[in-house]
Amino acid sequence: MGETIIIDDIDVLVVGGGIAGAFAAIKAKEAGARKVVQVDKGHVGKSGNSAFGAGVMHVLLPGEKDEDLSDRLKRLTRAQGYLVHQDLLQDHLEQSWSIVQDLEKWGVEFERTSEGKIESHPGRGARPIIMFHGPQLMHTLMKTGLRMDIHQVHRVTITDLLTHDGKIMGAVGFHIRDGNFFVFKARATVLAMGSTWYKGLLPAHRDCTGDGYGIAYRAGAILRGAENNDQISHAMPARFDIGPGLNMWQGLGGRWLNAKGERFMEKYNPVLKDQAGLRNIMYAFLLEIKQGHGPIFMDMTHFTPEQVQRMRKVIPLPTKMFERVGVIVKDRVVQPVEWMLCPPTGRPGIRVNRRFETSLPGLYACGEAAASSAVVTGLSCAATSGATAGINAAHFAHDTDKSSIPQDQVERLKEKAFAPLQRRDGFSPEQILLAIQENIIPYEIILLRKKDRMERALENIEYVRDNYLPEIKAHDFHLLKNCHEVKNLLFVAEAQLKTSLFRTESRVGLREDYPYTDNENWLKWIELKNEKGEMALSTSPVPIEEYPIKVDRDRKIHYVWKLAEKLNIITIKGGEVRWE
Amino acid sequence: MGIRSIDQRLCTGCGTCVENCPLDVLRLDEKGEKAYIKYIRDCQGCFLCEFECPEGAIYCSPIFEFGITKAW
Repeated sequence: MGETIIIDDIDVLVVGGGIAGAFAAIKAKEAGARKVVQVDKGHVGKSGNSAFGAGVMHVLLPGEKDEDLSDRLKRLTRAQGYLVHQDLLQDHLEQSWSIVQDLEKWGVEFERTSEGKIESHPGRGARPIIMFHGPQLMHTLMKTGLRMDIHQVHRVTITDLLTHDGKIMGAVGFHIRDGNFFVFKARATVLAMGSTWYKGLLPAHRDCTGDGYGIAYRAGAILRGAENNDQISHAMPARFDIGPGLNMWQGLGGRWLNAKGERFMEKYNPVLKDQAGLRNIMYAFLLEIKQGHGPIFMDMTHFTPEQVQRMRKVIPLPTKMFERVGVIVKDRVVQPVEWMLCPPTGRPGIRVNRRFETSLPGLYACGEAAASSAVVTGLSCAATSGATAGINAAHFAHDTDKSSIPQDQVERLKEKAFAPLQRRDGFSPEQILLAIQENIIPYEIILLRKKDRMERALENIEYVRDNYLPEIKAHDFHLLKNCHEVKNLLFVAEAQLKTSLFRTESRVGLREDYPYTDNENWLKWIELKNEKGEMALSTSPVPIEEYPIKVDRDRKIHYVWKLAEKLNIITIKGGEVRWE
Repeated sequence: MGIRSIDQRLCTGCGTCVENCPLDVLRLDEKGEKAYIKYIRDCQGCFLCEFECPEGAIYCSPIFEFGITKAW
């Protein structure tokens, strides 16, 4: 064990080095916070999702009118089955162009028209996107933070929050190389630690392990939406570890083919076809596979050399990867690539209000650490939510006294953090990770849901939690970090399975045993909270009548099941889906 | 998975890859002269080390070295 390092008198502590964290830190500083500290378990600006953002951003473009805003809001709302805070999403859309202006000012490079304006281009989904140059975005934000005197702490993983009198007073963690124990005493704390894909197939996202959810849950925060979010899964090449870049490849005109060489997307989404959103791709993939039409391919062989050159600028890393395996040769894509669905996104997001305050005073959440009902997946919403969280955290810090932490709490958390190093025998984090993955990743658990299958997975997850986790062991600080990651992943898996079982309807997640979308009973968020060590679930109604985008309070067969019935893939008998 | 090799003849021990690796896969040897792959199983195949290496010493591949649980 290394020494204890105390960083005291922090106004705003930001945990996470991605785009949400960067905006939180920079905007907190601009809003008057004196001492801002940003901490990341990797390297600020080089880790998480943002550093590998697929070169694409969804924003409300200059010149778009009220009806465009309304159309974007409608699409974001429908993508989550109406379980969103429409007021927050409207704030996001209205603020999104100012984020782009900030990025421009700080030196982020965008694709431009011949007149020098930021170019808008078709992407995935119905609305145009803008493009930036891959890793240059986060590198620039990291440099901007340094210029603004933000204290960036790298390679320190946060293990728990500090609490006093019901308030959050900072956080503790350890350096994953030298083992020094860090105590961050802060007036306000912003969590921007992303979501998770269970370290599964999704290149460049394996450090996103739901750490923010774990620490917020253990401190008593209310979490929401573990069963339902706008991107339950993603799609990636199946045989190679390549991506992310799907938004760009779809935008450039990539075509989906099944094993018979048929372009199948038109059947499932006659309007957007191959450019359909992730949720539609997921449904279409599932139904094609169920019909025995797998595997699925993406065909980009018709791309022009100019399009491939653009790929190289906007998504340089995946383009290099495709070149390395011989899919791109001399600026042409020479073969279709087999594709598959990624693991489910685990996102028991932290509940926030319009100021991005969580249910615990002094604690803020933004980016994918916040509930998807408030922050939709993607860089632009991570940025707007980070900015708002940072500004409000700075104001909160201004009105708050220096934090006072009981010493025994620090000692207790330190002992807990290092416990896996003390054990002689036990389970490696790798063993536990594999057990989690085997129970949560197969597509008939979370992507296609049924009670008995989810219950079996939950039983296994609980067994691992009760029997393996207490015996987890590490022999150095790097592996100790992995121990804390799998602890958080186990929590996310349990939360995702329990809430998915609790939601007895098909909404964003498809249930074979509940094929109806039940707007009479289920226009509700599922919330969870740590009550004396037990995961307590409850519901909170969506005030749909107060929002601009409305939906009838009725009960209908989910539109995907209806379509599948029409295509003779399923029948619905006795309230259950039967596969033909 | 991902990172395959660091060419020891080209590596100058500048530490760029060690600093940039999001997953802490790479470290400098005891003398601080050369980078080496310490935690290969944590590599996420992001190519960032190869992309950032000023000497062109690092070679990555997107072909899986070991099995990973897939959705199907």
